Amino acid sequence: MSTTVAAPPAVRLESVTKTYGKGANAVRALRSVSVDIPRGSFTAVMGPSGSGKSTFLHCAAGLDHPTSGSVRLGDTELAGMSETALTKLRRTRVGFVFQSFNLVPALTVTENVTLPFRLAGQKADKEWTAEVLRRVGLEQRAGHRPSELSGGQQQRVAVARALVTRPEVVFGDEPTGALDTVTAKEILNLLRATVDAMGQTVVMVTHDPVAASYADTVLFLADGDIVEAMSSPTADKVAERMTHLGAWS
Amino acid sequence: MLGLALRTLRSRLSGFVGAFVALLCAAAMVTACGILLDTGLRGTVPPQRYAGTPIIVAGDQEVHWTTSKDKGDGEVKEKTKSKPLTERAWIPADLAAKVAAVPGVAAVRTEVTFPATVIGAPGDGESWGHGFESAPLTPYALATGAEPKTGEVVLDAHSGAKTGDTVRVLTADGVGEYKVSGITATALDGQSSVFFSTDEAARLARAGQLTAIGVVPAPGTDTGALADAVRAALTGTPGKVYTGDDRGRLEFVDADAARVKLISMGGAIGGSALLVAILVVVGTFALSMQQRHREIALLRAIGATPRQMRSLIGREALLVGATAAPLGALAGIGLGVWLGSRFRDLGVLPEALDLVISPFPPIVAALATLLAAFVAARVSARGVIRVRPTEALSESGSAAPRVGVARILAGLLAVAGGVVLLIVLSGLRTEPAAGPVTFLTAIVWVVALSLLGPLLARAVAFLLTPVLSVLLRAGGYLAAKTARAQARRMASVITPLGLLVGMTATILFVPTTMGDAAADDLRAGTLASYTVAGHVPSSTAEAIRAVPGVTAATESLTTTVRVGQDKYRAQGLSAQNLTLTVDPGVVDGSFSLDGDHAAISSLAADQRGLSVGDKFTVTMGDGVHVELTVSAIYSRHLGFGDLLLPYPVVAAHVDTPLASTVLVSGTADAAALRAAAGPGLAVLNGAETADARDAAASANAEVQLIAMGLIIAFAAIAAVNTLAMATADRARELALLRLIGTTRRQVLLMLRTETAVAVVLAAIVGTGIALATLTAFASGMTGAARPGFELGTYAVIVGGAAALAWIATVLPGRVALRRQ
Repeated sequence: MSTTVAAPPAVRLESVTKTYGKGANAVRALRSVSVDIPRGSFTAVMGPSGSGKSTFLHCAAGLDHPTSGSVRLGDTELAGMSETALTKLRRTRVGFVFQSFNLVPALTVTENVTLPFRLAGQKADKEWTAEVLRRVGLEQRAGHRPSELSGGQQQRVAVARALVTRPEVVFGDEPTGALDTVTAKEILNLLRATVDAMGQTVVMVTHDPVAASYADTVLFLADGDIVEAMSSPTADKVAERMTHLGAWS
Repeated sequence: MLGLALRTLRSRLSGFVGAFVALLCAAAMVTACGILLDTGLRGTVPPQRYAGTPIIVAGDQEVHWTTSKDKGDGEVKEKTKSKPLTERAWIPADLAAKVAAVPGVAAVRTEVTFPATVIGAPGDGESWGHGFESAPLTPYALATGAEPKTGEVVLDAHSGAKTGDTVRVLTADGVGEYKVSGITATALDGQSSVFFSTDEAARLARAGQLTAIGVVPAPGTDTGALADAVRAALTGTPGKVYTGDDRGRLEFVDADAARVKLISMGGAIGGSALLVAILVVVGTFALSMQQRHREIALLRAIGATPRQMRSLIGREALLVGATAAPLGALAGIGLGVWLGSRFRDLGVLPEALDLVISPFPPIVAALATLLAAFVAARVSARGVIRVRPTEALSESGSAAPRVGVARILAGLLAVAGGVVLLIVLSGLRTEPAAGPVTFLTAIVWVVALSLLGPLLARAVAFLLTPVLSVLLRAGGYLAAKTARAQARRMASVITPLGLLVGMTATILFVPTTMGDAAADDLRAGTLASYTVAGHVPSSTAEAIRAVPGVTAATESLTTTVRVGQDKYRAQGLSAQNLTLTVDPGVVDGSFSLDGDHAAISSLAADQRGLSVGDKFTVTMGDGVHVELTVSAIYSRHLGFGDLLLPYPVVAAHVDTPLASTVLVSGTADAAALRAAAGPGLAVLNGAETADARDAAASANAEVQLIAMGLIIAFAAIAAVNTLAMATADRARELALLRLIGTTRRQVLLMLRTETAVAVVLAAIVGTGIALATLTAFASGMTGAARPGFELGTYAVIVGGAAALAWIATVLPGRVALRRQ
């Protein structure tokens, strides 16, 4: 992966290694991974269980410290940042959509979406919040609690929250993993639309070849290393590649 | 952040109910104890007998000593300490002339006070005799009849007697017949008065001494200025001036001792309650943090800093505290009033001492509770900071976190503290020192349990898995596995149950440990076959001695004295044929109470550095110093007190110089003794004496139990709400188990087994804590490492804990299962 654009990539990983545990029990989840995620791209990360895709996402998003190597978000070097500094960075420059349990049950849709502002001690941009809710199709539901929403609607709220701070990158960890195929398709279209219409950068970890086919590029991870980057993926091509990964290849 | 805290509270009410209830109870208990403390500190005793006289001159009711402490920098700090006397101090009669000579004094009225009871009169309060000239001190006025001449008395309005009646009056001199010459118009609450002629009163009281001198100011004299003048005139004499409510304190000598007791008791219970509250609230908060693990991880992931999380949790706690504390404080006022009335019934709170109800205790209790809530939240938030944001991403976000090093270290520190306290406790030989340390020791061990609980639960579950799987199959297997995986939750359940069992056993078995040891001493040391109990005058004791077959009749009278600054329980025993009735377990010297001979317990001898043949000074209950010689040192101090003094010495310095018991040896039978003793006295054989003693001991234990019972109730509430919280939270897990084909029965069996494991563990640990604490207490206090465990009571404690635990798990479990 290389880019000719003068501006730095949205995310750049250089020789990132992550080891869990010590001594004989040490597990190397990432082995010297280097990759650039270009701005305005939709990237899917795939790999079998234990391939290190979650660790990849955690390190790229500043949720976890790599054991060695460099992670850059735009111009900012994340390695060596304190926990609090990383937290503040996540607030405004990164958006997250998790598989489930994305929302604080006590808060309404609008309050959940504007939570990052509240945590940062800023006033939420009301117009932009309304606009984001309109784009995810929840303008009628702004005052509802998560428990009053369907699973798909809850994921839309999560997407809206991820977008509301105009982050440099939105990270998704199996964002459709807990949804039925029809709802999953809606969420994937929504993510695709944010890339196409808003120029948003999206990185998504998934194990579903159909989900991966919505991306511009699919990175395949096996045993802690990127083994291939596939452009213009289709579900069939991805599924085919997946069956020849790792120990089974 | 406050808004978010409020929102979270509103939507997660059930998670905060536990903390709310615990804080509410804590606030109530601290308020109630505060009221007792406040009463002890500021309670006033309105004068009754001296109400009609503005200035009273009487003896100093306090004993003073000065301690000097070299602070190391050459400066010596002197501190004067004062402690209330336990008996009334008398003053020389010639002070009356001195007082009368002060300008502005119109007249003086001298008073003597001595026990005088009209036999068969109604009322169960105290009855005191006085000379009729002191009647105006109250003031008492005659309703009918005339003032008493020799052989006559005036009785008060409650006596039920009429002028011209003949009554029998018991005094230290024996029983005498008097004609009622008059009846007063009024009477006092809780005490009866019998007025004799001045000469007769002087004969019945201490020769040449007075209990008080009432000062009647000349018309137009300023009372304050006159009091100062009298005070100046009395400089260098034992006389002291009392005005206002101080007159009440003079009148009710026991009120001051009760005050001290209320202060120490209020402080000890209130302090223990607050410690237990922090422990319980930390537990419930930690549990609710665990339940919100994923929510916290999510907030961390989307940008809440550890600091923000801490502050969020702190504010939630303050909100809960701010709701619970005022309500609890209000309820505490009611609790305080109830506690006061119970204490009054049991005689701890004297009639004369009014309960003080001021805004301070509830305010202080509410603030202390708020602080406790905040501290608890801060402590439980420590774990939250370690929640990694990545945990929000993984489905199994609530997996048991590892037990932190800091927690293990703190736990080991608590264990070390507990061991040190046990060693200290086993060296403490006096009750005022050992009492508070005992409860502190138990609490520190419970803290250790709460810190190391997860490790303990995991270890035990590991050992139990194969056993339970075989015994109870699927249900048992699941229970053991869950216990192991959810060691932290298990620990949060074991802690309050362990606290309940440990504290209750400690509280209940401290008095039995002491009682058993004292009973052993008495059984071994009492050689008498009968005890005559009641107020026995010397003449009656002589009559008993004269009964054929009686070889010895020992009069006994108890009081409290000081040697130096140390306070001791002392007993006055008549010397004649003493060794036939009492054997205090002499270890050195030869036991005799003739003349100035006294025996001293080995404990007191050690403390005061005394050995046989030494002369020592005893400050008697009325403040008079008496010099005595140690004739023997004995070991059975739990049964006989620390000092055995000659009976006449004790009788000369107590308010009621009548024997409380007479110990009788010999072959005389009960009927003959009863005839000699006359009406109003009980003749008890050995078994009856033991029963009477047990009854007295259990009344004493009841005071402890009422006070400490609050803490027991508190621990029970804590245990129930923790268990209920833990179970209610598992609706999802239970639903999943049902989904994968576990039957309702199996799920309930699993819950029951888990609870049983928790109860058994808690019982073992709690019993261990109580046993260790009580053993240390017993070896310090009684010299033998024998805790007084009563099996029946113990079974009730463990059974009660098990029943509470069962209700608190199975009921919410059923509800959770039904909800699907």
